[in-house]
Amino acid sequence: MINSLKMGLILAVFCVIAASGLAYVYQFTQPRIESNARLTMENSKKEVLPASGKGRALAVTVRGYGGEIELLVGIDQQERISGLKVLSHKETPGLGANIVRPDFLGQFKGKKRTDPLEAKKDIDAISGATISSRAVCNGVKDALERFQSGNN
Amino acid sequence: MLWKDFNQGIIKENPVLRLMIGLCPTLAVSSNAVNALGMSVAVAFVLICSNWVIAAIRKITPDQIRIPIFIIIISTFVTISDYVMQAYTPELYQALGVFVPLIVVNCIILGRAEAFAYKNPVLNSILDGAGMSLGFALALISLGVVREILGAGTVFGLALFNPAVAATIMVLPPGAFIAIGVLMAALNKFENKVQ
Repeated sequence: MINSLKMGLILAVFCVIAASGLAYVYQFTQPRIESNARLTMENSKKEVLPASGKGRALAVTVRGYGGEIELLVGIDQQERISGLKVLSHKETPGLGANIVRPDFLGQFKGKKRTDPLEAKKDIDAISGATISSRAVCNGVKDALERFQSGNN
Repeated sequence: MLWKDFNQGIIKENPVLRLMIGLCPTLAVSSNAVNALGMSVAVAFVLICSNWVIAAIRKITPDQIRIPIFIIIISTFVTISDYVMQAYTPELYQALGVFVPLIVVNCIILGRAEAFAYKNPVLNSILDGAGMSLGFALALISLGVVREILGAGTVFGLALFNPAVAATIMVLPPGAFIAIGVLMAALNKFENKVQ
């Protein structure tokens, strides 16, 4: 009994030391992590919007193969896709992870709500990653719908 | 003696190719060279630091609760490396994904804590950690380079040849098993020759 109390106490001491060490590291990395996130967001917005900066950047989340895919979809004033960027994803490395490649994402540029936006139709899917490709298509479609309903 | 502690992890007791531990992250993140390098650095940091601290406190650590104490120490260093990567190398952090937090359960680290650091002085333990990390890095990076070249036609992201002729299977899980098998066979052959 006494012994287990003693062990518990020792363990608690270790935990307290570890926690204070972590709190310290957290304190000075956190501002940087946050500013990184902000900076990435701003840069991404610039990337997906047309050079004039007019239009809207919409963030959408879709279900991919390995988890959620966060997309930033830029739509210009003519309701066309001006740019597309993957903010985060958990797709298979070497397969689904290729959705971040410019030659895949570039295909969406100029697409409108009336386009089919379907993998293997007007969009070339990534080989071996149909589910991930389809997820991106759905995300873009969602964004266009939302843009439409937001405007009317 | 000190040299031997450092040396044995590189080839003779290479954690991946000889002791066959830590295979899960090895197979998963070795699909390209950059990820392999990043993972190696993170593991080296955690392994050297945890070996160092565990060796330093080995005399005041009660035997019955040594495993939870090891885990606390290891997870503390993993979380530190997680924060630091997130703050300073966000792209790498994204690429490695869940495998950074999973360093906690990497058998190499707990294995070295139990088998070496808990029984040896601080300096030897740091060297053991460094040697094992180097061995891990060696295995991981050679796998990453081979798989990236064969599977994607690039090395460290630089294009070598047309990716259309690359064997995509090499960057997929089966490719990891094929590559690691060949690498182990090659190492055995090499060692037999030396002897």
